[in-house]
Parts: sequence; structure tokens; C-alpha cells
Amino acid sequence: MIGFVLRRLLQLLPVLLLASTAIWAMIYAVPGGPIGAIAGDNASPEQIAAATAQFGLDRPVLVQYADWLWNAIRGDFGMSIRGRAPVLQLIGERLPATLQLAVAATIVSLLIGIPVAIASALHPGSWLDRILSGWSAMALGVPTFWLGILLILVFAVELRWLPSASAYVPIWVDPIGAIRNLALPALTLGIYVSGILARFLRASLVSELRADYVRTARSKGLPERQIVGVHILRNALLPFITIVGLMMANFIGGAVVTEAVFTYPGIGRLLIQAISTRDYPLIQGCIVVILVLYIAINMAVDVLYAYIDPRIEYR
Amino acid sequence: MSKLGRKTLSILGRLLSSKGSALALIFLVGITLAAIFADFLPLNPVGQKLANALKGPSATNWFGTDELGRDILSRVIFGARTSLITAGGAVAIAALVGVPIGLVAGFFGGWRDAALMRFVDVLLALPAILFAMAMIAVLGRSQAAALIAVGLTGIPSFARITRAQVLTLRKRDFVTAVEAFGGTATYNMFRTILPNSWSPIFVQVVVLCSVAILLEAALSFLGVGVPPPTPSWGEMLRTGKSYLHEAPYYAVLPGIVLTLTILSFDVLGRALSGLLEGRRDPVIAPKVEEVTT
Repeated sequence: MIGFVLRRLLQLLPVLLLASTAIWAMIYAVPGGPIGAIAGDNASPEQIAAATAQFGLDRPVLVQYADWLWNAIRGDFGMSIRGRAPVLQLIGERLPATLQLAVAATIVSLLIGIPVAIASALHPGSWLDRILSGWSAMALGVPTFWLGILLILVFAVELRWLPSASAYVPIWVDPIGAIRNLALPALTLGIYVSGILARFLRASLVSELRADYVRTARSKGLPERQIVGVHILRNALLPFITIVGLMMANFIGGAVVTEAVFTYPGIGRLLIQAISTRDYPLIQGCIVVILVLYIAINMAVDVLYAYIDPRIEYR
Repeated sequence: MSKLGRKTLSILGRLLSSKGSALALIFLVGITLAAIFADFLPLNPVGQKLANALKGPSATNWFGTDELGRDILSRVIFGARTSLITAGGAVAIAALVGVPIGLVAGFFGGWRDAALMRFVDVLLALPAILFAMAMIAVLGRSQAAALIAVGLTGIPSFARITRAQVLTLRKRDFVTAVEAFGGTATYNMFRTILPNSWSPIFVQVVVLCSVAILLEAALSFLGVGVPPPTPSWGEMLRTGKSYLHEAPYYAVLPGIVLTLTILSFDVLGRALSGLLEGRRDPVIAPKVEEVTT
């Protein structure tokens, strides 16, 4: 088990290294990129030279890269140019908000996706199945930012039930306040992902329904409820776990748009601010942290999957 | 009539015979024509009339007016031009880079395959929207930057689909025959294998159009896509969101057009995939790949 985890970690290292190098190179390849941002657009040549020296940008590229990489491994992404604070501290302040939204959105997507999939898989080809398939297609096709705007329009502007801008309220501090603030962004992300989940689960349910053990269970005279609830669902949910994990990983980086719609103070909005102010250390820090989380969750899913499904060996 | 022409007509006929894909096709043709001939229509996307700001839909302004008194319908139609050009250009870049990568990787295998596919994996290491944002941070905000950024995120799906196609054709007799007759690798790739791979590539073009339009709109919504004053759907939703109380139609109506466009490309992509490749639920494949890798 431990060996399996370690091997998976080793396989991920090259991807992480390549991607972070690409991120570093992308930004430093721009002539005058970071310096223009540090010294300001109207800087004199002397000021530019001073800033270049101060940030060590006059050293050979390889030295700069090695320095950056060494610091990044130790979790030091430097100081934010605009925020005047360590990059990692700024990210650390936003991370809990992003994680809380990711968990809430995953719960919403499961609450919608699983019933939709079961209902349509049990009656393939029926009108219910067609309606629910239509729902999945709509959920996937409607842009999340527009869906978010519609939800704000209905629940915040018209009904005035929920706030139109969502603040981060830790759920253990004020559960009701947290749910009020999370409801709309979690619904927005959850509806989108429920479309993907429902399609997957429906497909795997339909194929499980044809399996031999289902015929055996039926001929034994087991009630249909028990066949579906106990036998089929348990098998169909296995591959499903992978998808749910991937969705969660996607929420952490990919919730940028939803966070912007609800002005939610997560890591995605921090990244947008960093890009609009050309805060290069902060851009790099955000992307590397998102990348690490993304890969870590994917790995956790792999391990969990191997743990749950005894047919998979730790190879 | 040429063989290709007859085939196109028969596919077109079958698309039109199904209600869903017929509607999608008609909507897309309509919006494309409107975008092309926007200059000749009685539209005015830039004329400001502040006294007329944020007026609801009326006989003169079907979609109402925006915060500067400009006609929203005009801006939606000119926005279609921005969207379609950006998405079309992005898909063209993705195909022009991705297809040759897939051809070479699949045809030669070995270290070329490993190197090219690792490069593709790195493109996939980040969610598409983050990758595009990082690209724009480097290139600076412009329509060209949005086009390139969206295009780069599409390279992996073309590379993978082409590679998979090449792998199934590589050992077929007609390819071996060309080799035996001394055909060069380049000839074999581009004149023998590629012409037999058009179906999945074409389906991918249509599917990716919907992804590219969505991505471009998301970038503009975040304020890093096509810069104003060029009208774009994402930008309209971004501004409209500030006026939800005074003018709810401002964010709702352009959003409907955007959603219908994305859904239409999606429906068409599925229908084409069914017709050309005989697959029932095809679109899910590239999308899953997007999230799984």
C-alpha cells in the first residue's frame, strides 16, 4: 500500500516539474514582463535597472530558474508585488473558502446527479429518461456564469432569500450563515457537474443491469429495490468515485468563473486579481498551488479506488 | 456532381430529418449569416444615447438598451461576429497544430510519440480556463491573445483523436501497400492516412466550436478576453450583471443567445458523430478526457 502511494507520487513528479517549469518560463520569456509590472509603466531606465537588480533578474536565466525552483519546493513563492505580503500567505487566506465551496458543490451535484441517473437508468427509453437526459444536456450546455446570474436574479433580486454576493463564512463558526452564502455558488457548480455525473452513472447502471449477478438476484426472487439499492448501486458507484474526485479537483482550480460571478473570496478570484494587476509572483504561486492540489486529489482518488475495489492490485 | 458533394448532401439531409439537429443547424446558419452581414442590417452597436440608457425591450430596441443607451440586439449580433471569429480561429489553430502532432506521434511511435504526448499532457495539466488565463497574462489582453489561448487548450483533443485514428489505420493493408511501393512517411501520413481520418476530426471541429465559444465568453466575462469596445457576449454578461436590479433583460437576453449557440454546436456535434462514426454518445469522450487527464 505505501509502496503503491510512493510509486504514484514518483510518477507525478515529472508532470509537476514540467508544468511548473512551463509556468515559470511563460512569464519570464516575456521581454520586460515582470519588471514592467514591478517598476511601473513610466519608470526611468535607472529605476528599471534598480528593480532588475533588486529582484535578481540580471542574473543568468538558469541561476534564476534554479533559485525559483528551490524556493518553490520550500513553499516560498516570494512576495506579492501589489499585496506586499508573502504569496503563500495570501493564498493560504483564500484556500479554506475554495475548499468549502468545492465540498458544498460536490454534495449538491451528488444530490442531483445520483437520483437523476437511477431514475433514468431504471426506465431506459421512457419519457422520464428522455426528460432527464435533456436535463443533463442542458446542465452541461448552459454556461455557469449565466446560470449563476439567473440564480442571483431569482433568489437574490426577486425573492430576496439569499445574498447576491457570497462572503466566506466558515461552516463551523456560523452554519446557517455559511449555507446562505454557499447556496447559490454551490448550486451553480453542482448543477453543471450533476449533468456529467448523471450521464456517467446512468451508463454504468445500465451496463450493470445486464450483468449475470442481476439475473441471479432476480431469479432468487429478491425485491427490485434491494437489487438496485444494494447490488447494482454498489458496483456502479465504484467507477463513479473517480469521476467525483476529478470533479472536486476541477472545482479547486476551475471554479474561477463561479467565484467571479458571486464575488466569492476564493483562490480563483485571487488569481484573476493577480492577472489584472500583472502580479507575476502571485500568478505563479496560485497556478502552482492549484496544480499541486489538482494532482494530489487525483492521486488520492486513485489510492481510494484501489482501496475500495479489491479487484485492483497495488501495482 | 462529385462524390464528396453527394456525401455532404446526404449527411445534410439526414441532419435536417431529425428535429433537434435541424433546429440547431438552422439557428447556427442564421446567426452566422447575421454575423457576416451585420454591417448591412439596420443595426447600431456603438451609437450612444445616454438619455436612452437601460430602457427595457421595445419596438425600436427589441432587446432593450445598455448603460450607455446602445442597442443590445445590435451588440448581440456584432458580438456573434467576435465569438465566431475567435472560436473559429481558435479551433483552426488547435487543428493545425494538434492533427500533425497526432499524425507523427501515432505513425512513428517510439520516442517521438512519447515526447509529443508528454508535451500534450503538460497542456492538460491545468484546467483549460486557467491555462488560457495564464497565456493571456503573458501575451497581454487582445482578441488575438484570446484566440491563441483558446486555441492552445484545444490542441490535446485533436492530437489524441488523430493519434488514436492513426493507430487503428497504421497496420491496415492499404497503408502497408503504399510503404511497400516506396511511398515516403510524409506521403503516407498526409495522403493515405489523413484522408481516411476526416470524420472524427470534423466531428471534433464542431464539438470544439462549442467549447471554444464557451471559453471565450468565460474569459470575456472575467474581463481578460476580447477587450472593449468590441462587443462580445461575455463582456455583455459581465456588465449586465451590474444592472440586475434596473435592467434584468440586459444579462438574460444575450445569455440566451450564447447558450443556444453552445447547445446548437453540441447537438450538431453529437448528431454528426452518430452519422459519420456510428457512435451514440460521442461528445462525452473528449469532455471526459478534458477532466480526467
